Amino acid sequence: MKPKFSNAPLMIALAFSTPAFASNTLVTSGTGVAVAKSPLTVVPDREWNKMGARPGRRSETWTIDGDGLNDLTFYGGIESNSTLFREVSKRLKPLPRYSSTMLLTDIPALFENSYSIALDTQLMKIDQVEPTTFLGQKGVRFMYSFSLKGEDVRRKGEASGAIISGKLYLISFEAPELFYFDRDVAGYRNIVAAAKLGLPQS
Amino acid sequence: MRAASASFAAACLVGAAATCAHAEPIPTLPPYTAAYQPQGVDERGLWMEFDEFERTLRDSKAVINDPALMAYLRGVVCRTVGSSRCETVRIYVVRDASFNASMAPNGMMVIHSGLLLRSRNEAELAAVLGHEFAHFELRHSLAQFKRRRTAGDIVAWVGVAAVGAYAYGGANTYSVIRNAQSVQTAVIGGLYANGREQERQADLLSMAYLKASPYEPHCFADLWNRQMNEADATARGRKQRSTRYDRVAFFATHPTSLDRATYLRAIASETGKAGDEGQVSFMTAMTAWRPEFLDDQLKLNDFEGTDFLLGELAGAQWTPDLLYARGELYRGRGNPRDLVSAIGFYREALSGNATFAEAYRGIGLAQMRNHDPAGVDALKRYLSLKPDASDRAMISMLVQ
Repeated sequence: MKPKFSNAPLMIALAFSTPAFASNTLVTSGTGVAVAKSPLTVVPDREWNKMGARPGRRSETWTIDGDGLNDLTFYGGIESNSTLFREVSKRLKPLPRYSSTMLLTDIPALFENSYSIALDTQLMKIDQVEPTTFLGQKGVRFMYSFSLKGEDVRRKGEASGAIISGKLYLISFEAPELFYFDRDVAGYRNIVAAAKLGLPQS
Repeated sequence: MRAASASFAAACLVGAAATCAHAEPIPTLPPYTAAYQPQGVDERGLWMEFDEFERTLRDSKAVINDPALMAYLRGVVCRTVGSSRCETVRIYVVRDASFNASMAPNGMMVIHSGLLLRSRNEAELAAVLGHEFAHFELRHSLAQFKRRRTAGDIVAWVGVAAVGAYAYGGANTYSVIRNAQSVQTAVIGGLYANGREQERQADLLSMAYLKASPYEPHCFADLWNRQMNEADATARGRKQRSTRYDRVAFFATHPTSLDRATYLRAIASETGKAGDEGQVSFMTAMTAWRPEFLDDQLKLNDFEGTDFLLGELAGAQWTPDLLYARGELYRGRGNPRDLVSAIGFYREALSGNATFAEAYRGIGLAQMRNHDPAGVDALKRYLSLKPDASDRAMISMLVQ
């Protein structure tokens, strides 16, 4: 069986990452850490593994058990006219671009379309969209689910995002619906609730 | 599985690019053996692999399980190739926005939802399904599989000879290696040329089915023409060169679309037959699914191609679902002028269907993005028309 990756951004990063074989590192529990080379700062309440391969310039992915089993992805300030993550093929499968004029309701659609294109699946769906407070601002929280072509695993995801000074900040979590999602989603929600824009504080 | 996948791909409808365009006489329908069983180790092996693939596909979440749609498609296949031929075919509709269909050597027919979206009537769909059935009836996958294996053997052994010449030297080393490379190139080229020949044969047999069916044979060429124009529109939108008029590429598995449309039209004219397009029955069968397929298309981030496709589907009559899709397309691109256009399309959709809740949602969101306070009223109207909307909480926040 061919290896499959549930995480669209990471899947792309693994193919095109620079440096190609950046190593994974341990993120310790209880310490504030700046993520995605941005002012976005989180305090994990358990240990995570930071994947060396990053989905894009403004993002990074953490996992507990391995890519595809639980993926926590931070998007730290996507700028206007940029894609959410690196494109699989600029020529054949260009990704939609974020725009600072977007409404919060446009963010789930941007996310859905980017995933559909990058994963080449029509089985990516936004299930629910609701308002939330994220990084102290009006934000959007949405649940999604998807399956990859030729794979039976059903994956669930949740994301919270906000547009701050024209830039998009987003944290998403996705895992197989069976077992992993329910087990790990609480840890993700804690991270989202405590996320801040600013320097890390220990 | 690799060899089988490769031959399966060869049996697919859409390929890269190119060959001849003459109106050749279409063949008479060959005698058909019902419940044909695979002969010999190669064919039995091929069938076994596809049986396994079919078991996986049957349980895939990408397959659409709608009894009404399946019954309709079975009817189309049976009317196209005749009731005795269609009996053993298993049809699977896969949720895939690309324009494609394929048929495996064991009689498994796979139809992409993108083909159903792009067909304008039953006759066009019948032509494509007939083409795929022709690959099956002519057992093209097996022939290509055998050719591929033989070619692989030749390439490998000639390679061994070349390596030997290089290792042991001698006066003729250079010419041996050059000759070996020529042989390899010719063998590989022959393989792809054979693939293109198979496509042509399948087109011809498909026209023979259409001639004997109740359908209009010209529709096949119509579909190809629109497909080329759509590809042109996509290329234009992405600032790329159109590949429409390309010459035969070395690795092309299919004739160019232009050649294909030309010879299909010539053959259709020679049949001298006018048939049924089956537009009403097709549109009725697609009623439930077209909004879903349009939604898949909108996610492809292909503005020009999708706009062209919507225009072709509409023809002279823009229906509310197409107007709404066009509104979504323009709102998705989101330039201020696009938002104004989108609002116009949503309004037209509402003039055809006054209770189209999502059209009010589109108007509201487009107006809000353009800083027009009137958007609040449209969103309130959306919520009143669709109180159980999945984004109710979010939209409620916007209207406060």
